[in-house]
Amino acid sequence: MRMKKPFLSLLTVVGLSVSLLAGCGNGGEIKSTTTGGNAAASSDQVKFNFYFTGSQNVKDLWDSLEPMFEKQHPDIDVNLVYIPSGTGAEPTYDRIVAAKKAGKGSGDIDLYEDGITSVAQGTKDGIWEQLNEKDIPNLSKVDTDTMKDVDNFAVPYRSSAVVLAYDSSKISNPPTTLDELLQWIKANPQQFAYNDPSTGGSGSSFVQTIVYKDLPEEDIHNSDPAIMEKWDGGFDTLKEIGPYVYGQGIYPKKNQGTLDLLMNGEVSLIPAWSDMVLQQLNEGLLPDTIKMQQITPGFNGGPTYLMVNQESDKKEAINEFLNFVLSPEAQEVIVDKMNGFPGIELSNMSQEMQNKFDGVAEGFRTFNIGDLGTEINKRWQSDVAAK
Amino acid sequence: MSKEARQSITGLAMVLPSFAILLIVVIIPIVQSFIMSLSNGSGGYDLSRYTYLFTDKGMRSNIVFTLRVTAITCVAVILVSYTLAIYMRFNQGPIVNLIRKTYMIPLFIPGVIATYGLINLLGNHGWLARMLEVVGITLPRIIFDEKGIIIANLWFNIPFTTMLLSSALSGIPSSIIESAKDVGVGRLTLFTRFIFPLSYKTFLVALTFVFMGVIGSFTAPYLIGANSPQMLGVSMQQVFSVFQEREQAAAIAFFSFLLCSVLGAFYIRSMAEEEKAKI
Repeated sequence: MRMKKPFLSLLTVVGLSVSLLAGCGNGGEIKSTTTGGNAAASSDQVKFNFYFTGSQNVKDLWDSLEPMFEKQHPDIDVNLVYIPSGTGAEPTYDRIVAAKKAGKGSGDIDLYEDGITSVAQGTKDGIWEQLNEKDIPNLSKVDTDTMKDVDNFAVPYRSSAVVLAYDSSKISNPPTTLDELLQWIKANPQQFAYNDPSTGGSGSSFVQTIVYKDLPEEDIHNSDPAIMEKWDGGFDTLKEIGPYVYGQGIYPKKNQGTLDLLMNGEVSLIPAWSDMVLQQLNEGLLPDTIKMQQITPGFNGGPTYLMVNQESDKKEAINEFLNFVLSPEAQEVIVDKMNGFPGIELSNMSQEMQNKFDGVAEGFRTFNIGDLGTEINKRWQSDVAAK
Repeated sequence: MSKEARQSITGLAMVLPSFAILLIVVIIPIVQSFIMSLSNGSGGYDLSRYTYLFTDKGMRSNIVFTLRVTAITCVAVILVSYTLAIYMRFNQGPIVNLIRKTYMIPLFIPGVIATYGLINLLGNHGWLARMLEVVGITLPRIIFDEKGIIIANLWFNIPFTTMLLSSALSGIPSSIIESAKDVGVGRLTLFTRFIFPLSYKTFLVALTFVFMGVIGSFTAPYLIGANSPQMLGVSMQQVFSVFQEREQAAAIAFFSFLLCSVLGAFYIRSMAEEEKAKI
């Protein structure tokens, strides 16, 4: 078919493509206008952006902490940016790195919340600010070993631990040590499940606990790649229990994957995050018969950290905020909302709180193996999953 | 300027803008990821990332698994869709009307929701298992298995393929079919000699869509698939964001692009041949 008006259609084609291409570039323009807006607002008030990620409970937590803080410090405006988990926490980190590399300052991300992997990665990339007690007095309330683990590059403001969640209608004596657990798994085929360690912390905690089972205690604070050679025994154990776990080697995705199996009764024992179990018990998603048990030595619990972007120019306000987060009153809110452990040492909390955690607080270990966590996941994928 | 020259310049000018878009959103990223996939991590450039794809046991089984799932899905989707389309084309009645009204429904259900629905339906303790338990049948494992991925892909691909094929079949004049029937052509011959050749072009389009859709599928294989072997999309995501090996992920991406481009080239060639035949 021949076009009657070639130039008209040519114009249309050009116009359409130009607008399409222009669409690609729009993101940048929008961003620059927001930057301008921020600068204008900060003339009387210091405003900084706090990026955090996680499930709904994390958002609820910050939604209640933010007004508390702003009431005490009317001159500081905390802008909460919530990124629902699994939708883009990594791009946030990548944005910080990209902004630094491009010499664009903080990239409008002043404070960031994430797990140990980001702390380690960021320390390596040199994007986190090293913190000290002079600027943040309440830092002295945090366990010094935990601070040493991260070289003061991050603030552990709360922790949750991995525990064993079990169905008490099927199990009356849950295992209390790792050896008992391994025996139990073999004695009750297909009744135990742990999730793919690369998709959720509870499975990764189980895998790491087994891999470091026979290694000296100090190795869990060591990110030296030389340790990798000592992992063989642990991986052999994991391969050995493979045929005894759910579906003879099915590892569901995400922390919720195993909880779902426990919920509908397909398995009766799983490693799970204490806060997730408590929350879902409260909401009636898990039956009342689900109970928790920590083993000795414990699964690893993980603190969640707050990191300050080195390039941020609002550090004073951020330090003020961090100091507030580590105060006993804020920590109490954290414990209530998250069903987790406080970030500061228990002796700083009220007697009532101390009683609540009596005996449980010692229940978890903090693993700090840095990049080795990724190496474990990689090796798990090729050795255990790919049988 | 001669008329011919002016015409060819106009033609070029009309192609340029769309080519620019293709260049910016497709070609440049592919070249970039190809270059990225060639770097071996220690500053040099070589094919080590690709060697890994074929030497690592897990990776190799991922590739074989992906191709297997894709091939089975393609065959099954084409079979089901052709049957449905032919049935709707040459039959009338309430059943045909019902199918015609309902077969598009899966297109309007978001992938994640459909996937969770399938998990609830086909899971170990799902509805189907519970219903069949009454009659004493135990379901084989479907979820966390290859079967689950294939079933999910059927759900996603059949409606669109059926739609494509239906429109192609409605373009076949009834007179041809009827006259063939008059001289006593059997059903199978009718399909292989008349219906299939007349809808061949659409068949190729449909096959290309299904192939590319399945080979790059992520949601269903991620939620339903086993931990190993994985579909390439799931593996790519794991390598990229969990293991943080961008170069290796780029190699997987480029490799799956190559797989798709084989079919793409085949498709373009047959289209070009047809154009030539027209002239």
